[in-house]
Amino acid sequence: MIVALLIVHGLLAVTLLGALTHQAFSVIRAPAAAGPRSFIDRFRRVNGAEYANAVVVLFLVTSVGGALLYPQYRIDVRPMLEEMDARAANGVFEIKEHLVAIGLGLLPIYWLFWRTPLVANQTASRRYLTWLLAFIVWWSFIVGHVLNNIKGLLP
Amino acid sequence: MRASAFKIFAMLSGAAYGLAFYYDLGLFRYYPEVNQFHWTASAESGPVILWYGWLTTAALFSAGVALVVPRRLGERIPPTLVWVVPMLTTLAILVYERRWFV
Repeated sequence: MIVALLIVHGLLAVTLLGALTHQAFSVIRAPAAAGPRSFIDRFRRVNGAEYANAVVVLFLVTSVGGALLYPQYRIDVRPMLEEMDARAANGVFEIKEHLVAIGLGLLPIYWLFWRTPLVANQTASRRYLTWLLAFIVWWSFIVGHVLNNIKGLLP
Repeated sequence: MRASAFKIFAMLSGAAYGLAFYYDLGLFRYYPEVNQFHWTASAESGPVILWYGWLTTAALFSAGVALVVPRRLGERIPPTLVWVVPMLTTLAILVYERRWFV
C-alpha cells in the first residue's frame, strides 16, 4: 500500500512540476519577437492562467500524499539517516517540509491572482508567486527523489 | 472580503508557520509508531511528527486574523507584500536551516 502511495505521489509530483514549470516560464518577460521560435519560446508561450486551477489541485493532493507518507519516513528512513550521520539529508528534508508549508499558505492568493480576467497591477506579484511556488516544487521533487533512493546513493 | 482576506492569509501563514516551528508552537504532536495524537510531548510514545501541528497552528492563526481584519484595512495592503513577505520568510528559514550543513 505504501509503495503504491509513493508511486502515485511521485507521478502527481511530476505532473505538478510540468504544469508549474510551463507557467513559470510563461511569466518571463517576452523578448521582442523576431526570427524563428526556439524550443524555449514555444515552451513558454502557454496561457499561464489555464494552469492555475490544476496547479492548486495538484499541489494540495500531492501535499496530502506526502503527509500520508510522512509517518513511514519518520519511522523507517529518518532513524536510518541519523544512524548514518547523514545530517545534510535530514536537513534538506526539513527544508522541504517548511517550503511545502509556505507553499500551501500561498495557494489561495496564487489562485486569486491567476483568475481571469488577469488584473494588470498584479502582474509582478503573479510572476513572483509563481516562481516561488516553482522553486518549492522543484526543491521538494528533487529532495523526495534523492531521499527515496538514498541507500543506493550513499557509499 | 475574499481578496483582502487572501492577501492577509498569504502574508501571515508562512511567517506564522516559521514562528510555530521556531518556538515549537504546534497545536498537537503525532506519534506514528503508536498512531496517537497528543497535545503535549509524550516521551514513551516513540518518534514524533511535529509538522502537522505546526501547519495547523499556522493555518488557524492566519485564517483567524484574515477573517477578523476589516476589509478596508486589507484592501490597502499592496499586492507586492503577498510575495515579498513569504519570500523573506523562505530566506529566513533557509538561513536558519544552514545548521544541518555545518
